[in-house]
Amino acid sequence: MKHLERKSIALPLKKDDDWRKVLKIKLNALKPGLIEIDCRDWQFNCRDIYKLASLLNESGCKLLSIQSDIPETIVSAAALGYQTQLAKNYNEGIAQQVDRNLPGKSSANTLFHKGTLRSGDHLKAEGDVLLLGDVNPGAKISAGGNVMVWGRLRGVAHAGKEGNNNARIIALQLRPLQLRIADVIARGPEEKPEPGLAEEAKLQEGRILIEPANPQNLQK
Amino acid sequence: MAPNTRTILICSGKGGVGKTTLTANLGIALAKQGVRTVVLDADFGLRNLDLLLGLENRIVYTAQEVLEESCRLEQALVKHKQEPNLALLPAGNPRMLEWLKPDDMQRIVEMLREIFEYVLIDCPAGVEDGFKNAVSATKEAIVITTPEVSAVRDADRVIGLLNTQGIKPIQLVLNRVRPKMIASQEMLAVDDVTDILALPLLGLVLEDEQVIVSTNRGEPLTLSGSNSPAARCYSNIARRLQGENIPLIDPAKEEQGLRAKVRRLMQTKIF
Repeated sequence: MKHLERKSIALPLKKDDDWRKVLKIKLNALKPGLIEIDCRDWQFNCRDIYKLASLLNESGCKLLSIQSDIPETIVSAAALGYQTQLAKNYNEGIAQQVDRNLPGKSSANTLFHKGTLRSGDHLKAEGDVLLLGDVNPGAKISAGGNVMVWGRLRGVAHAGKEGNNNARIIALQLRPLQLRIADVIARGPEEKPEPGLAEEAKLQEGRILIEPANPQNLQK
Repeated sequence: MAPNTRTILICSGKGGVGKTTLTANLGIALAKQGVRTVVLDADFGLRNLDLLLGLENRIVYTAQEVLEESCRLEQALVKHKQEPNLALLPAGNPRMLEWLKPDDMQRIVEMLREIFEYVLIDCPAGVEDGFKNAVSATKEAIVITTPEVSAVRDADRVIGLLNTQGIKPIQLVLNRVRPKMIASQEMLAVDDVTDILALPLLGLVLEDEQVIVSTNRGEPLTLSGSNSPAARCYSNIARRLQGENIPLIDPAKEEQGLRAKVRRLMQTKIF
């Protein structure tokens, strides 16, 4: 088999130009191969990433991995099974994001933690929390805002612990022992979820509901 | 003086999963390979490593006297009868728990490192002071667990604590594996355990009645060169520690022979 070359393309910043336009120009200049895309500050849902991948396919390239400043983009890409990497300036990205979406509310305080939470550990955050790693059985993660787990959630998660009913819990694999949103408590589902499907839990009519993840919802 | 001494803590969190048995068998197996090995009983509250090695009646001094400087280290070390490469440093009396500090443990281990190539520390159960003292003196760790949710949960907690202390590498031994029960899905499979603990697997130890017999006799299984399933597993673990590349046993293939074939036939839905 022919060894394919690995190339990386960086999309423009959101304020500078439209990514589709720039991507087409950049792709024309490239030979077919494996491509790493740096999405910078673009927030993509699964559909956007699917579109991105098919644009690459049209010009004979294959999407290998996604890099981004925005955690939601990373979650979408990981849900579709691509390799992902959160850019180094993720804190800036998150800060901007929160500023835009939650005007006047506790902004810029997403706690970022890398590593697996093992039994007995408890990760607490005032605002949102993003965990890169698993939450093992017996461990707990809680946040005043949203709980986002880029990994397997098998312990206990509490979102909106100060009473925020709109908080959500999102994980690449949602298999918790127990979920709590605001002051509502639910036992985790008995059956195993489909692999590769990111899911989120939200509060609806006083009950906790689990559905396929849509990172866009986190903006509301 | 041995420059490349490996100090390995053998711990589990939960009690009764086989820390002491693994320490004793690993000690003997390493000594048989010609490596100068010492086993240190860090379980001062409930010591029994000396029992398993059959050395109880030879203890004169303990780690306590060494620390108090009322005897030399060489006097306290108990050489094994059949395996002169193996020595035991016995734990002192349970009162020691009250005054023993991480510094003391480090001092003892530092002395042992001068003489031996392997220092195996048998850790007490739990995650309290005894555990903390033992961790402070070690560089590597072997976490042993059984395929039960409670043991796996405790092992997970211990691994988290070892990680915060910068212990590296940490390897996993899965004890009391019953291939039959895994095949019929009555027991956690090997993958289920490694999936949660996310550690490199150093070895599996099959469930074996001979372990009980050998414990009661004070003769570790690896000593007699017995060919019982657990003895083979322990020897393989020792050889892997030494860097040999020995494939892990596959629990699914352990069940061979006529009876297994008949059982498998009965489970397949031909009829």
